[in-house]
Amino acid sequence: MAAPPLAVTQEIFAEDLAREQVGLWRDAWRRLRRNRMAFVASAYLVVLAIVALVAVVHTPYSYFHQGVAPTYAPPGSAHLLGADSAGRDILSRLMVGAQISLIVGLSTQAIVLAVGVPLGLLAGYFRGWIDAGLSLIINVFYGIPNVLVAMILIVILGGPGLDKIIFAIAFTGWMDMARLVRGQTLSLREREFVEASRASGARPGKILFGHLLPNELGPVIVQVTLGVPAAILFEAFLSFLGIGVPPPAPSWGSMAAEGINSMRIAPHIVLAPTIALLMTLMAFNFLGDGLRDALDPRQKR
Amino acid sequence: MSQPVLEVSNLHTQFFTDDGVVQAVNGVSFELHEGESLGIVGESGCGKSMTALSIMGLVPEPGRVTAGEIRFRGHDLLRMRAEDVRDLRGRDIAMIFQDPLSSLNPVLKNGFQIEEAMLAHRHAARRETRERAVGLLRKVRVPAAEARARDYPHQLSGGMRQRTMIAMGLANDPAILIADEPTTALDVTVQAQILELLRDLNRDLHTAIVMITHNLGVVAGLCSRVIVMYAGQIVEQGPVDEIFEHPQHPYTWALLRSVPRVDAMRHERLRSIEGLPPDLIRPPAGCRFHPRCPFRVDRCFNDEPPLDRVGDGHVAACWVTMDRAYGEMGAAELLDVRPGAASGVRLPAERAGG
Repeated sequence: MAAPPLAVTQEIFAEDLAREQVGLWRDAWRRLRRNRMAFVASAYLVVLAIVALVAVVHTPYSYFHQGVAPTYAPPGSAHLLGADSAGRDILSRLMVGAQISLIVGLSTQAIVLAVGVPLGLLAGYFRGWIDAGLSLIINVFYGIPNVLVAMILIVILGGPGLDKIIFAIAFTGWMDMARLVRGQTLSLREREFVEASRASGARPGKILFGHLLPNELGPVIVQVTLGVPAAILFEAFLSFLGIGVPPPAPSWGSMAAEGINSMRIAPHIVLAPTIALLMTLMAFNFLGDGLRDALDPRQKR
Repeated sequence: MSQPVLEVSNLHTQFFTDDGVVQAVNGVSFELHEGESLGIVGESGCGKSMTALSIMGLVPEPGRVTAGEIRFRGHDLLRMRAEDVRDLRGRDIAMIFQDPLSSLNPVLKNGFQIEEAMLAHRHAARRETRERAVGLLRKVRVPAAEARARDYPHQLSGGMRQRTMIAMGLANDPAILIADEPTTALDVTVQAQILELLRDLNRDLHTAIVMITHNLGVVAGLCSRVIVMYAGQIVEQGPVDEIFEHPQHPYTWALLRSVPRVDAMRHERLRSIEGLPPDLIRPPAGCRFHPRCPFRVDRCFNDEPPLDRVGDGHVAACWVTMDRAYGEMGAAELLDVRPGAASGVRLPAERAGG
């Protein structure tokens, strides 16, 4: 290369600098590991997932058979978390409840991703009538309380059921995702690299999913990790109200609802599911916070 | 002369804003031949970038090409289907932009982005495109090309980024490479390297280059022909030596005088061009440069000068031309460059203010 000597040394210096930096994702991973709360939260969630998986094949006792323990039995060696008013083992019910919570949390977010991301991308990139229509729908539904929307949907779909709960929660959740992605797309579409890819002849689909979406992955991931606990809480709330997962399936919310009448004499019936819920929500929220910090490119170190 | 690969005729690009219609490009016509290197110079806002974006079919909202023809190898791009124009972009006509960092996708690897540019136009195995991408990086003289292909844009220096952009532009062996201020965001030493690279590519690959810049030095080093634009119109066009040695339009003359020179006497001050570029919503009548021109005559206020031949392959749109300005108005010794100073044609308001 026939370049003046000064420029050569500059290039070498720049290369040294470049080598010290690492990839975007590896950088984020390193920052996430340094965040102790996020790390503990992830560990808890891994344990929870394992417990939920184990519950598929094995629980200490049957989760729906009544009278496996004395009614209102306090926590003890035979029944670690005691028994409820019907004499059912609470630990076993809690384990199966973890399944329900995780299924609800993850599958609602899968739907939210599948619906919200493409719609947000289309509306943000093409503007026009797609954007106007989407914004109108979102604004209308933002005016109605989510609980009301979910309740009406469940009734329309023919009464409670896990699939209907998931659909109802996803229906109230996709709008936040669509809004987020739309906003990100609106600002990214003005960036020069989008124009550059258009100038190189890229098709709209390629620009949306190949160029814009990878740049929005950070906020989208954070939105999902914060959407999971919101969905879990929503399900627990609906089940607490009695329009959630139908018995005998032990949702943490319905378990708490059943225990509320005997809170004076057997507080463990309420406490077990609510503490499990609390810890799970906290874990997801801490993880979401940690991811937000880790994926924020402005935060160096 | 070979057949022109690109013919632009009577191009009008307008922006429909709330304040009125901005005439960003107003009747621009020129030709570009195979393997030629053409410079388009002018102040910011003179329409040079919009001319390029019009050719690419990428005029941003609320702008639109309202009239004219842009013929690539005889086919009018303005009358082609949108998909066909898109297929042409990046394959036959490529463009590189001013800021190489923001023009590269920050979350995709450099090599991958070059491969994408190839895959936009033909199907090929990943292994083949990967090899070609590394080969292109080598061609634009990126050292350790394999490693740089695996890097992200932020890991490269400005010069290396612009080389990556050029490699992307060359991914499909385009007939035309439009470079919009490709060196403005770079260090001076790196600028020189990029220009040298473009010149070599122009010579070796026979890719026609359209260099859009406000920097006359860039044009002098790279281009064989120059177009000078002012207020959306071409005011002068000709071979680079002619333009630099015998500029005929007062705007070109003023532009050349405002370039800092290393060999100039230290006490000699740089002469900027008086006044501001005109409002393109309500452009001045007559010659658009007359409100800033020291050599204007009465005719310039109302009659628009056509592009007339002033030399061999050299045209200028001026009623006076610099030959006359030197002969009759003493342009060579002119120090006062206020509007009408040399010709004595001043407006009452300016006389009072000056």
